[in-house]
Amino acid sequence: MNSQTKSQFIAVASITSELSAVMVVAKEISLAAANAKAIAFRAGDKAKGFQPITDFINELAKETIELVTNINVYALLLYRLTVNEYRRTAAYNRFEQVAKLAVGACYADSMQEPITTARTIMQDCQRQFKRDVTQLLGQLEAVMHHARAARVIAANSRIEASQAGEYLQSLQAVAESVDKAAHTIHDNVQRCRIALSIYRNS
Amino acid sequence: MKMTKIYEGAHQWIMFGRDENKPDNIIDSNQYIVRTANKCLLLEPGGTELFAPMMAAVLHHAPVEQITDLFASHQDPDVISSLGLWDQALSNAKLHAPALWEGYIRHFGCESIQYVPIPDNGETIKIESVELQIIPAHYLHSPCGFHVYDPQAKILMCGSVGSAFEAPGAPVFVERFDVHVEKMRYYHQRMMPSNQAKRAWVDRVRNLDIDILAPQHGRMFKGDDVKRFLDWFDSLQVGTGV
Repeated sequence: MNSQTKSQFIAVASITSELSAVMVVAKEISLAAANAKAIAFRAGDKAKGFQPITDFINELAKETIELVTNINVYALLLYRLTVNEYRRTAAYNRFEQVAKLAVGACYADSMQEPITTARTIMQDCQRQFKRDVTQLLGQLEAVMHHARAARVIAANSRIEASQAGEYLQSLQAVAESVDKAAHTIHDNVQRCRIALSIYRNS
Repeated sequence: MKMTKIYEGAHQWIMFGRDENKPDNIIDSNQYIVRTANKCLLLEPGGTELFAPMMAAVLHHAPVEQITDLFASHQDPDVISSLGLWDQALSNAKLHAPALWEGYIRHFGCESIQYVPIPDNGETIKIESVELQIIPAHYLHSPCGFHVYDPQAKILMCGSVGSAFEAPGAPVFVERFDVHVEKMRYYHQRMMPSNQAKRAWVDRVRNLDIDILAPQHGRMFKGDDVKRFLDWFDSLQVGTGV
């Protein structure tokens, strides 16, 4: 296995690993939203502005979980494609080796058709991989967008929390945890994007 | 890759082995083809490392499109781990291999090749007009294995039985049986698990008319050495690993 293939395998495998961490964090946001809702309910009028924000947070967490679930399915397909491309490339290289070793054999020419077919399939796999990576990068961008939105919501939450009297600390803690989670999601997804971006369609 | 024609009649048997370019850390193995007018059966295709030299050697005898059948005596990687490569090279081929091992052997890659499962009691394979008997050889050493007998050529391809490991470039036929015995003893005692299975196989094979015993590793046996081998194997205590 050459170093490019190795990095391709690592890049694809790292998506699943990074995204499983994103999934955990998104579930934490969802929990924080439920917690915030309960606090805002108890705070009544003092946290009136906070109540709709909790719905936003919850919605955002749900959408992120859904997006990540879809991306994971896609990442698995991409992994299978990587395995297939590796097998096809290995076969093509071996067939080329056969052609060299078979010089002078009565039926050496009959190897041409398998070589041509293997080359075509290998190139198709490579093109398909690039196309799929480009699409996956688009989906990862959507998760990044959600993370950015979560950070804006966290900032708004802090403002609303400042007006919640004795509930200030609890609501600020909610805002902090949403902000921290959004940061983590952003960083993890960004690492996926960097790992994959070298394979995208130019 | 050394090529030795071991039978020439209405069809041919060719033995391949002693690959000079084989990496040192993998065992040497023998491959065989049965060549008829328009078809070619490849027996024990070999490991992945062997694919290129093996395919190149076969091209001296048959074009790719006439390699229509493969046979694997059992599931070991030195027998059939090249399957994934043959699978991509051959457009219309069948693999005859033990039914018991189908789900295992498919791990090597088997998408376009048709897997023809061999039942436990064996069967017959027909390659054009050549009828080959698939002889059960279970627990020798694999729990499910088969050997190939060609009654016309009087050759028994006997898989792991009769195997020995030799220095590169060793002759393809046994020359002094008494010397060769010591190259086989440990392998057979350690790798063959059952005296009962061994006895059943010897009894069955004694009823076949055999000119050449063709194992998957080491030298082939011909003439009187065939009987010498059967007598020796019959009296050998196996399953000594416990």
